[in-house]
Amino acid sequence: MYNAPKPNIKDLPTKAKLHRSSIIAGIGAVFIGVCVYLPAEYGTDPTGVGNILGLTEMGEIKQQLAAEAAANEALHGGNESSSLMNDVFGLFVGAAHAQEAWQDEITFTLAPGESTEIKATMEEGATMTYAWSATGGRMNFDLHAHAGGEDVTYERGRGQTSGEGSFETPFAGDHGWFWRNRDDANITVTLQLSGAYSEIVRSE
Amino acid sequence: MLPNRSFRSGPQSHPLRQSLTIFTTVVLMLMAFATSAYAHDVTPGDAGYIQEIFGVHIISFIYLGAKHMMTGYDHILFLLGVVFFLYHMKDVAIYVSLFAIGHSVTMLLGVWFGWGINAYIIDAIIGLSVIYKALDNLGTFQKWFGFQPNTKAATLIFGLFHGTGLASKILEYEIAEDGLLANLLAFNVGVEVGQLLALFVILIVMGYWRRSPNFMRQASVANIIMVGLGVLLTYQQIAGYIAST
Repeated sequence: MYNAPKPNIKDLPTKAKLHRSSIIAGIGAVFIGVCVYLPAEYGTDPTGVGNILGLTEMGEIKQQLAAEAAANEALHGGNESSSLMNDVFGLFVGAAHAQEAWQDEITFTLAPGESTEIKATMEEGATMTYAWSATGGRMNFDLHAHAGGEDVTYERGRGQTSGEGSFETPFAGDHGWFWRNRDDANITVTLQLSGAYSEIVRSE
Repeated sequence: MLPNRSFRSGPQSHPLRQSLTIFTTVVLMLMAFATSAYAHDVTPGDAGYIQEIFGVHIISFIYLGAKHMMTGYDHILFLLGVVFFLYHMKDVAIYVSLFAIGHSVTMLLGVWFGWGINAYIIDAIIGLSVIYKALDNLGTFQKWFGFQPNTKAATLIFGLFHGTGLASKILEYEIAEDGLLANLLAFNVGVEVGQLLALFVILIVMGYWRRSPNFMRQASVANIIMVGLGVLLTYQQIAGYIAST
């Protein structure tokens, strides 16, 4: 009837053994859930173990990607199913934007560990549209401004090869990017800008 | 195919109702599967993360390997089939090792040499492995063909197919060349860790179940359900393949 005999009750683990194993499994599941799963999926690390294991970074990147995907969807209303799709979609959008007239195109190269700041001098309530892409490696950036005791962060990213979007200034001053190459090869970034700004300021 | 259980003596709690309950559960599971379309689809989160990083990340890849195994229900289903009637830990260790050797070999080689085997075809074969093992458990091969194919060899061979399936999924992850070998080995370790964690839970549940006097009777229903799930997995992949060509 079967490819196996009926189990002999003597061969089976006792109820006590099974109960003990169940408790171990339960404790293990809670431990893995709190110390491994939460950090690795959500970047939440109540015990600090995730950080030691290096899994919290994974969770943070995943959350960042999820937020980006949500933002993308809110922006374009599409139903992109994967980050790859987003990238492809982003390329098309980037290309579409590029066909508009950009006021400035800035190209710069950073060696590993190097950083630079590129900002645009803008009035309060002014709008900037931008697109950038990196070749040779992946870039970290912080799109922000601080002037007269005020500061704002528009977007932060790491390990990215392209980006596009726009922002409206809440106060007058220099608004723009801090770029840093955390990769291990030279990276060349092409940044395209258009909007209401009076000049572009670069600082190393 | 159904074992002739009506000749069993002793009090029986309406086997029909029991079967119906199980059947309903299965139908609900099928519906759940139908919405998720693919067997162990890579979530955008994991793939997205992997495509952001480069260099050696041992623990991250162990985690991802374990997660991949524990959420890949086709692998878990086959594993359940393999240990279903193994009552001794020694046998469990032998069979699970054979499965692990099988899938590790093709997973590592497959990724390293970039074997681009169609994911639908390989996943359909993995579905067939579930059907095979469930039929094997039911003693169907002895009944139909009068002989018993070597169960250890079958576990190893199907392990090779499961590994090829894993490889094709890992290739889709697009792991950076930088640190590939170390990360791949870590992923493989993770797959085995995930398998052992899943096995631990399976053995506890089976342990309680086997102590039940109804085990042998329910076992036939369970394995028939497993055949059904295998058919569903195979069907989904074949349908997917046809749709993709």
